[in-house]
Amino acid sequence: MDLPIILTPFFPRYIWMEEVIYSHISIATIITAFLVLAPILEYIGWKRQDLRWDRLARSLVFFVMILYSPGAALGTGIPVFIIGLYPEFWARWSNLFFWPLIIQFIFFTIDVVFLFFFYYLPWDRMMNRKRLHIFFGGCTALFALLIQAVWDGAGSYTLTPGAPFPNATEAVGWSAAAFFNPSYPYLFFHRFFGNISYTMLLVGGVFALKYLRNKKNSEKKYYGWASDVTFSIGFLAFFAMPLIGWGYAKIIQSKAPVAFHAIMGGHVSAFFMAKMGLIILFLSIGSVYLFKRHRDKVPLLVAVTLAFGGLYLVLSLHPALDWLGNASYWRVAYSVLILGFLAWLWYLRKQGKPITEHRWPWFLFIAGMAAFFTFALGGFVRERSKSPYTVYLQHEKPETKQEERDRFLVYNKCVGCHHINVKDILKLENINWNERVATERRRPGVDLTDEETARIIRYLEEHSP
Amino acid sequence: MTPMSFLGIPARWIIAFFALFHTSVASLAIGIAFIVMVAQIIGYRKRIYRYDLFAKRTQLFQVCIYNVGTINAIGFVFVLSGLFPQFWVHLMNNFFWPFVVEEFLFLLLAITLTFHYFFWEKLWGHKKMHILIGSMLIPFFFLQVYIINAIGGFMLTPGYEEAEASLRVGILGYDFKSFYNPSLLMLQFHRTFANISYAGFFMAGWCGVRLYFTKIKERKEYYEDCGRLSFNIAFTALLSLPVIGYFYSHVLKTDASEAFWNIMLGRGDVIVAGVDMWWLKHIFVAAMLGASISYFIRMSRSQAAFSLPGVMVYAISGFYLMFYMAMGMIMTWSFFFWMLVIAVGSGLLVQHLLSYHKGSGRAVFLYMGIAAFLTVILGGWAREAGRPRFVDRIANYDDVYVPQERQRYLYQDISPEEIAKLPVTPPTPGAAQLIQKHCARCHSLDRMRGYNRNDWERVVNVMRIYGTRLTDDEAAQITKHLAEGKSY
Repeated sequence: MDLPIILTPFFPRYIWMEEVIYSHISIATIITAFLVLAPILEYIGWKRQDLRWDRLARSLVFFVMILYSPGAALGTGIPVFIIGLYPEFWARWSNLFFWPLIIQFIFFTIDVVFLFFFYYLPWDRMMNRKRLHIFFGGCTALFALLIQAVWDGAGSYTLTPGAPFPNATEAVGWSAAAFFNPSYPYLFFHRFFGNISYTMLLVGGVFALKYLRNKKNSEKKYYGWASDVTFSIGFLAFFAMPLIGWGYAKIIQSKAPVAFHAIMGGHVSAFFMAKMGLIILFLSIGSVYLFKRHRDKVPLLVAVTLAFGGLYLVLSLHPALDWLGNASYWRVAYSVLILGFLAWLWYLRKQGKPITEHRWPWFLFIAGMAAFFTFALGGFVRERSKSPYTVYLQHEKPETKQEERDRFLVYNKCVGCHHINVKDILKLENINWNERVATERRRPGVDLTDEETARIIRYLEEHSP
Repeated sequence: MTPMSFLGIPARWIIAFFALFHTSVASLAIGIAFIVMVAQIIGYRKRIYRYDLFAKRTQLFQVCIYNVGTINAIGFVFVLSGLFPQFWVHLMNNFFWPFVVEEFLFLLLAITLTFHYFFWEKLWGHKKMHILIGSMLIPFFFLQVYIINAIGGFMLTPGYEEAEASLRVGILGYDFKSFYNPSLLMLQFHRTFANISYAGFFMAGWCGVRLYFTKIKERKEYYEDCGRLSFNIAFTALLSLPVIGYFYSHVLKTDASEAFWNIMLGRGDVIVAGVDMWWLKHIFVAAMLGASISYFIRMSRSQAAFSLPGVMVYAISGFYLMFYMAMGMIMTWSFFFWMLVIAVGSGLLVQHLLSYHKGSGRAVFLYMGIAAFLTVILGGWAREAGRPRFVDRIANYDDVYVPQERQRYLYQDISPEEIAKLPVTPPTPGAAQLIQKHCARCHSLDRMRGYNRNDWERVVNVMRIYGTRLTDDEAAQITKHLAEGKSY
């Protein structure tokens, strides 16, 4: 396809793309999570005859109404930028997923109709027909999830393509193998629970600040309660993530091994570790909060303890943890940390007064922001790990540098056989790479051309001490 | 690039559906913003709460349809990508930066609109600022439509002298002469006033519907008054349209003469199921003029709010009688007499409806709302249908598209000057090349598989009638090639 490259001012094209996509995704994920939770909260309120739940549900939907138009406007910007800046990728990708995109548009239209005309606008009029109203809310949530499901299918394809990336001259329209690719279910569930977790943690933090700033007693009580409910939902929802994430990492390791190495010790690992650090932060804050606030709700605390147990299980099974250093030391270290932390929490719950201090809202807000940045880093890590490919192994970015291609080759050929991760290779000092690579090349099963050998040597010489 | 097939339905019908759906929703936007501003100002100045309430409810409607229109636009983009991939990608490449600016405006509009509606009560004590925020929507919408009209106008009147959309000159992603094409200005005027008129009649129609279902006296007065306000705004905007339309068609006559004559003489897709869509549109316009004048004549006698003085109404009638007479002289006297009959007939119908409903305009509002909607649909259809089946004025259009041979250039940063120096690989010669060049412009090559080999002469002739430009020699080559069952 003959189209010249449009040069963007100030920043490279991929930066423009990232900014446009990030601005949309953060809104879209909030909308999806809020729409899923609102009918559930409304149902609880209806069953308990407690209007606070109804008010909370309604406020979530009100926020969705405010965000919907800007979110949709930003969403239209994504294809505009992709079509203009990456025309070949768009032509081929929209060709492959033509029918899912059309179906997604239909879902979107239905979702808007349900949200505006059946759920939000008639809220007061349907106060005496709660069951029907909740049903409409459920329909809104269902179509929102279906929209997400379509985009996850089309998006996950770029990391684990289940089918060839067609040329622009083949009219494909739909491919089950491409859509239902290996990482699709993992991405969908990872996003489903991730959206609920980070949005509720964030909302909990915001409500906590509203509690702090409000002067009216009744409003203070409501916001204190709302903050607690939403923060707790977000915190508990998080614990599905390590289990799903472990499965996701396994499938990436299997189907996109170079992307896996990039995350675990490669060029994206710093961001991945930053994400882990943020998770530790909001888990710590959230755990202490729950144990102090709900000190007498033993089933809840047991559930949190078991959830930490699940996290511990994932860490134990996670093979790539070895890249941090000697495996045994790290296993001992995180066992002591997690078990010790749990013991301390159980001890802490009965110490001092329950939480009433005004400082706690700020901690909840910090936890919420940490959750938000965790979400932001997640997408960033996933997209950068495929570099230099837009579609893994099938379509390279037009602005790919030779160094990126060489790095991919090193990950692909060297990591995984005798080294667990690329850092192991790069930290070797005073190595004659010509000799070393020549030696490795003679091993059975190693298949390197002369050109690939030269590229690997060049990369290792430039990036090792 | 090979276009998709949409369940066997001709691609242009799919595009027409999406485009008209989007247009019918999006066209309301600027008009509704104008009505909201006017209603708020009146409510503020006269301290009459009902007009502010009307403004708020109208704005809520705008919030709802804004999302529907946006989502439909996304679907439109996807459908264009699949059904007309080459055209769409080239158009996006040529207008990339205008689209980016338009997207920015889109976002600004969404934020302003959302803020204006959802903070209505919170800004109650700052009414002037609130009205100002709402009024900002009008220039934003105007600018957004301006960019879209540049692209729409380009498709009909691509540019001065040789077309610049060759991807070989200018700033990549923006082309000055493509953007400021000959029909941009007229299309902008035409659409701005038409959208205000359409939105006004639409809101009046909505008030008419509510009047049918409302029993409470105060509410009836509310809908009657607000319907009349909308009707007034719509009628005022409507008056400009025949004049603007005249100058618009003048531009088309010069810069898109084939499209002009297709519309005027009723050729090609302008005719649908034997009905001339352009004539039908003018029938509706005449009916709307006659109905509006008749309505305001009646209202001037009752001195209702937002009615027009009788003298003014008669003066307008006289002006338009002269205008249509002038059109009759330029076009045909048949045009003048038929429009007069329809206008008078429509006026009489309005008088009957007003009398039947005891002076209430409910039926008139509803009638005008429907007529305005249909006029918008028919206007867009006539413009698009009048254009020949392909955008023929883009120079080097076919030279640019040679898929396999030139893909390697996509991975290099090339300046526009370098592109001009690149060698153009000649396409495959012969009948197959003619088929790829001429047939694939409008439909996928898959659609050709179902025909009987003996039928190709007839089919190729039909395609030439539809507008495919083939010499006799080329048509004979293609017919022979297909009749022999050879591949293409």
